[in-house]
Amino acid sequence: MANLNIDSVKERTFDAIVIGSGMSGGWAAKEFTDKGLKTLILERGRDVKHIKDYPTTNLYPWEFEHRGEMPMDVQEANPIINRCYAFGEDAAHFFVKDKEHPYIQEKPFDWIRGYQVGGKSLMWARQTQRWSEFDFEGPARDGFAVDWPIRYKDIAPWYSYVEKFAGISGNKDGLAELPDGEFLPAYPLNAVEDYFSKHVKQTYKNRHVISARCAHLSKPNQIHLDQGRSQCQERTLCQRGCPFGGYFSANASTIPWALKSGHATLRPFSVVHSVIYDEAKGKATGVRVIDTNTKESIEYYAKVIFVNAAAINTNLILLNSKSHRFPNGLGNDSGVLGKYVAFHNYSAHIGAEYDGFKEWKTDGRNPAGGGYMPRFRNVYKQETNFLRGYASGFGAYRGYKHSWDGVGENLKDGLANKELGPWRVGSHMMGETIPKETNFVALDPDKKDAWGIPQLRISVDYDDNDEKMKKDYLEQLKEMFTTAGFTNIQTSSNHQAPGLDIHEMGGARMGLDPKTSVLNKWNQVHACKNVFVTDGASMTSTSCQNPSLTYMALTARAADYAISEMKKGNI
Amino acid sequence: MDRRTALRNLALVIGAAALLPACTKSNPIVHYKHFDINLDQQTLITDMAETIIPKTTTPGATDLGLYAFIMKMVDDCSTKKDQQAFIKGMGEFNDVPKKLLNKSFADCSKKEKEDVLKSFEKKDNKYSKDLLAFYNTVKGLTVWGYTESKYFLTKINVYELVPGRYNAWFPVKNLKAGTKNG
Repeated sequence: MANLNIDSVKERTFDAIVIGSGMSGGWAAKEFTDKGLKTLILERGRDVKHIKDYPTTNLYPWEFEHRGEMPMDVQEANPIINRCYAFGEDAAHFFVKDKEHPYIQEKPFDWIRGYQVGGKSLMWARQTQRWSEFDFEGPARDGFAVDWPIRYKDIAPWYSYVEKFAGISGNKDGLAELPDGEFLPAYPLNAVEDYFSKHVKQTYKNRHVISARCAHLSKPNQIHLDQGRSQCQERTLCQRGCPFGGYFSANASTIPWALKSGHATLRPFSVVHSVIYDEAKGKATGVRVIDTNTKESIEYYAKVIFVNAAAINTNLILLNSKSHRFPNGLGNDSGVLGKYVAFHNYSAHIGAEYDGFKEWKTDGRNPAGGGYMPRFRNVYKQETNFLRGYASGFGAYRGYKHSWDGVGENLKDGLANKELGPWRVGSHMMGETIPKETNFVALDPDKKDAWGIPQLRISVDYDDNDEKMKKDYLEQLKEMFTTAGFTNIQTSSNHQAPGLDIHEMGGARMGLDPKTSVLNKWNQVHACKNVFVTDGASMTSTSCQNPSLTYMALTARAADYAISEMKKGNI
Repeated sequence: MDRRTALRNLALVIGAAALLPACTKSNPIVHYKHFDINLDQQTLITDMAETIIPKTTTPGATDLGLYAFIMKMVDDCSTKKDQQAFIKGMGEFNDVPKKLLNKSFADCSKKEKEDVLKSFEKKDNKYSKDLLAFYNTVKGLTVWGYTESKYFLTKINVYELVPGRYNAWFPVKNLKAGTKNG
């Protein structure tokens, strides 16, 4: 520490510190500042101001030097990030380049990161499906991981709370496996999506294709206008950052909201080295930050610390927070910190054509992406040779047939042709995976990054359950496609590494028993009550629904609890 | 167009590439980041692109600067292996009009140039892998550059940056011509 005089310490002391400014950190910052708490938001990357820092957002296709393609030298130098679907010329500046932030892959793991204010909430796919009772009771019922210390009823009001502010479009579908929420109008299914939905419902009693629920302002309420956001304009160029604030991002919503309160300090270029634990006080007193530009080490202090660095980096920070009391990482009495990491299996797809509904097409673009089929396997009881199940995306689209044949005027005519092609349909698998002790992250004993922080070793892989589930997905979707009369059905199964789903979870899981978990039912570190983890690291199991909405709800819930505990003088 | 005029015009078109009078006096070398080509080859690719997307009552490849786009994409966005195949195939290309019509591509009429290029799209053609790679690259990038040009996306197939609507059920009979992603 360069300067320990009293004024300096005072300047560096806050009521709350939030590590990370993305999907969940933004929510923690909002909740604390709403209650008047002096809050420091730490972000390891640069600032990205809403609208101002979206350089590509209003570019036309022909204005991109390579028409969206990444130059080959960038692709070859960045094999990991280059595999991410959104890493193109319009959004590459929001993704971490491989060499700048190295890690060790004991097994292939595509760690997709966005180091900036807003984190990955800028580029996310915006799907917001609630988890259900079947998800929270899953581990206990099926005998894997540990029992979730909460049930659906504990989180339900907090889903409502965050949905109202974030703005979620959807229908009330009345499905127990995908509970309804506080919805703005849904983006409707198109002709073929609707046809498939009806076909599936008639053919199978427990299968449903609904409008995907997504974080788009289909019809904003006052609370959204108050954030400076406006109605989604159906551009579907979201990964560039949205000048309308049409979808939820921390940049458009929670972060400016927190800053507007006057109670927040945002410090970009601040990577957290570790959480400081005070042995005498028996709690954390602050965090040790390294300025990523000057490499200066600075300490900040607060009564409560929220760790929202994104799942894997949250694990890194906790593992690196070593003290006499916690020699193996903060709160790691159980030895499970860094273990039971899981993800979503996105490695199967199916596509086909449909020779019907020729009198219909779509007009404009659908921000929701189409339909969503909630999990129908093993919902009420175990009934297959694998545990858990999968959700399926389902979309139909009708484009024009442009002929590339020939040269000269014939070709020009062919390219200008307006003849509509057939409907094309497609689905992708979103499978739950089972958290296991053998899927873990750990600090490398020797290798450090540019800021002297240990590099992570990541050892995460698929297992036999994933293979069986994928086989079932492809069989079931093929059957549903076939009986629906779809033709030219093509299934594909790739071997994409875990991580590319960008739904990595766990490592600091919640649980009832401190001997087998890191966090309690309030996302509070069992053995260090003023530290909370409310991002993906806290997840006990993965469900098959997209997790961001659940991180938001858990964060708001935990912040509310932390504030009440502070008031009571308990932390 | 004489060579001097061609050279000047091309220098305007090629943008980042440096045109240096080297090697033979009459056939300067054009340096790209990852390879060199000569002026005759540059003329050939320009000519091929214009044959693929000719100027009619509407703009053609030359009007739209597609040569520069083709070369930028080959230079910046292709693998070393693909660049090598492109260069090798380009070297073999001159033999095709020679064999078919006993003249160089530059000396062919518009119709003959079209016939030469169409010979690559015949199913039973016997062209080498590299030669086909060269043709397919020039054709593909010409069409891509054309269909993503400002002209095409504002006049032929109008691209909307801000649609402001999603109609899930849109009757085909109500379709207005010229809307992309419509």
